[in-house]
Amino acid sequence: MQKIEINLTVNQRSYELKVKPNKRLLDVLRNDLNFTGVKEGCGIGECGACTVIMDGEIVNSCMVLAGQARDSEIITVEDLESENGLHPIQKAFIDAGAVQCGFCTPGMILSTLNLLKENSNPTRSEIKDGLEGNFCRCTGYKQIIDAVELAAEMMRD
Amino acid sequence: MQEFNFLQPENYREALNLLNEYHGKSKIIAGGTDLIVDLRKEKYTDLKYLIDISKLDELEYIKEDGEYIKIGSYTNHKSITKSDLVNKYAKILTLGCSEIGSPQIRNRGTIGGNIITGSPCADSVTPLVALNAIIVIESKEQKREVPIEEFYEGPYRPKIKANELLKEVYFKKLDNSYQGDFIKVKRRNAVSKARINIAALGKIDQAGKVFDIRLAPGSITPKPQRFKSVEELVKGREPDNEIIEKMGQKVAEIMIDKSGYRWSTEYKRPVIRDLTKRILKTVLEVE
Repeated sequence: MQKIEINLTVNQRSYELKVKPNKRLLDVLRNDLNFTGVKEGCGIGECGACTVIMDGEIVNSCMVLAGQARDSEIITVEDLESENGLHPIQKAFIDAGAVQCGFCTPGMILSTLNLLKENSNPTRSEIKDGLEGNFCRCTGYKQIIDAVELAAEMMRD
Repeated sequence: MQEFNFLQPENYREALNLLNEYHGKSKIIAGGTDLIVDLRKEKYTDLKYLIDISKLDELEYIKEDGEYIKIGSYTNHKSITKSDLVNKYAKILTLGCSEIGSPQIRNRGTIGGNIITGSPCADSVTPLVALNAIIVIESKEQKREVPIEEFYEGPYRPKIKANELLKEVYFKKLDNSYQGDFIKVKRRNAVSKARINIAALGKIDQAGKVFDIRLAPGSITPKPQRFKSVEELVKGREPDNEIIEKMGQKVAEIMIDKSGYRWSTEYKRPVIRDLTKRILKTVLEVE
């Protein structure tokens, strides 16, 4: 198994890596680059804990091989906080009490970021559709949907 | 996860050459949403090379070509659900693809991957069967076309050789005199495989008779197929509730005939009967 060389940009910084081809984007982000906001849940593309934004779209990073992410731009939850503090979506999740154990939260937040990019004023039903690929096993869905509504409101202002 | 060498061809021709060179020892990876699960289970003992087509723009398109719509195999489900062409001329495919997995899966999973995986419950395949879709397969040496209905030997067994690549799927545009629908029954609302899905198209002529009817139930038979003997019951006739009732019963009988009597049959028999009735009422415009 020959190692492969990949370039990728994570949170606006570019990296050159040599990795085994059977590594997943998830492994590279967590283990090689230490972006531990990306979580591994089910490992089979069902739970969405490993969600990242790849070239503008949300993907399960457990379902992308490292080599397939070559030359891609990746955003993880670590990118959201800025000099001005937490991102409005992060603030909204805290204010709405949408975080229990927190394991699903990074994925939820990234799915929310893309949802609100496409639809700045989603209905509750559209929020459910937008987040349908992210499971919360504490089942705090009501608060999570409240948080997305709140974030949408904060970001529109 | 099992080990393999990773090859990333720069163009479509190179992908065919690599498949030819390494045939029997290689697999194509597209969106990876099915394949990576299998790689984790170390399912492919002979696999030495993975050939990645995810950077091949040549296989990513939805285009109108005369009376046809053509879709490149590396086109993801989100692109299909957002396509005005598909929505206008083949709405049932829009409906099917929008039911697949989750937004994350639809952003990566491709129509080619869905066809090649060959799950009997694939939500894009059932509409493609109703659309009489043709798939285009190519190897280094030759190109062939196969109707999608003839493409499977059984569940998860597409008839494709180790040196062949699925290039495209195409189908005739439907004019707006067609009514179509797709229904999916699932265990929960999100991220769910179909327990049963069904796609249908119908066209009524000016005399009120059935000019065309295509009925494609999914997940209830080993291979996706139109139930032509059921379609014949109503073809050329004026549709009514009595015929539709008969058609529903017949679909359930054929399911048992082809798939055997199983633990789930008590459930599936009335459900497929009623789904058939419901979809036929819609596409044949019966109150």
